[in-house]
Amino acid sequence: MILTYYPGCSLKTSSKFYDASIKRVFSSYGVQMDELDDWSCCGASAAHTIDDKLAHALVARNLSIAEKKGNPLFAPCSACYNRAKTTNETLRIDRSLREEINGVISPLNCLGTVEVLNIIEIFKDFIGLERLTEKLRYDLSSLKVVPYYGCVLTRITKFMPFDDREDPKSMDMVLWISGVETIKWPYKMECCGASKTLTDKDLTFELSSRIMDMAFTLGADAIVTPCPLCQLNLDILPSLGKKERVLPILFLSEVFELAIFGNLSGTSSHMIPVDGVTGKIGKKHSP
Amino acid sequence: MKDSAFLKEMEEASKEQISSCYQCYRCTIGCPVVSRMDLKPHMVIRYIILGEREKVLSSKTIWTCLQCITCSVRCPNDIDIAHVFDTARKLSIKEEMASNRDTWLFDSLFLESVKKHGRLNEIEAILKYKLAKKDLFSDTKMGMDMFLKGRIGIMPHNIKDRKGMGRIFENLKEGTGRDR
Repeated sequence: MILTYYPGCSLKTSSKFYDASIKRVFSSYGVQMDELDDWSCCGASAAHTIDDKLAHALVARNLSIAEKKGNPLFAPCSACYNRAKTTNETLRIDRSLREEINGVISPLNCLGTVEVLNIIEIFKDFIGLERLTEKLRYDLSSLKVVPYYGCVLTRITKFMPFDDREDPKSMDMVLWISGVETIKWPYKMECCGASKTLTDKDLTFELSSRIMDMAFTLGADAIVTPCPLCQLNLDILPSLGKKERVLPILFLSEVFELAIFGNLSGTSSHMIPVDGVTGKIGKKHSP
Repeated sequence: MKDSAFLKEMEEASKEQISSCYQCYRCTIGCPVVSRMDLKPHMVIRYIILGEREKVLSSKTIWTCLQCITCSVRCPNDIDIAHVFDTARKLSIKEEMASNRDTWLFDSLFLESVKKHGRLNEIEAILKYKLAKKDLFSDTKMGMDMFLKGRIGIMPHNIKDRKGMGRIFENLKEGTGRDR
């Protein structure tokens, strides 16, 4: 099982521990990840604001390299995934745009034929739910979490998303397999403030606080997300003044780290301490 | 003053059928930041149809938008409203009507960093933004906390093919694609 791995900028800077956690978990399922050769930034939310063609060109550069390998392209960051998926599908269908973009990235050439996958799809379909259970050695049943999908993972406008745009359930399913208890809540798709962290801090603080308050009120032990920007915006709440009623924000792969190894490799990178979560893990009784 | 060509211009630039809006308000009802907008999202769409160029391009709304895409996925007429706002942003900068340039400034610096290194060098883009805003110290606490947790990269990540990356930006600036 080989994937072409596109970590994206976040997983090499602000969320290095997500990268480490994914590698730790996937290797125990025998998933081989080959990092995309000389990958570059996908442009995230910045490129399409300034220039739509640049947004496509930045992604097409990476896709063209991935196409040569032929393996599915795995992008754990929600923004990277959304951009890669959008450009891939757009260029495959729109021939004149494809030719124009290929002119811009020449001598590279992108056809839009690679399979783009996010982390939920890797867990649910690529590894598969049944195989997921095979490695789980720790009991997470006393851990209550809320699944937080964030905006751009399923909100893809022009193409079929992998799950329902407004009420996705795929991560709930994956989390159920891990053994945690998931709590139903109304904020699985609420916006955290996205990339306005710097340009409009008050706004990000307000939106992220609302999400945190809801999770806290419902009695969750942690929030689980696949998105590095959501994780960061919620995790920096204490630095922005919200000291109380905060919960740790785990990456989806970290839940599986707990279930497989009983600990987290990225404990020290969490701004909001995760002790309350790791303390609730018990060893599974052998049947 | 009404500009009867504005609707056509926006529809062509965004490739969205803005004129199909029947004012159901779903976009506005779902927007998480509507309380901070001067025009509500459905009003922006209506003003585009009515040719109110200045009202739309100088609105706070197009810059308050978070691009969370909730409005777009809820539109019964399949108008990608977030993308329409994104298109209006470009026009409002071009015509110097932008009510707030912060997002544009940060995104430009973001891309400058990508052009130079191939990947985003967060600290470089952030410091340049802070310098431009003459506001170096307002986020020191957040910055220090992140730094102590190892969540700020200091060294830039340079890709090998930086020349090729620069060429992509240059090609777009000149608008010279490969001959077809």
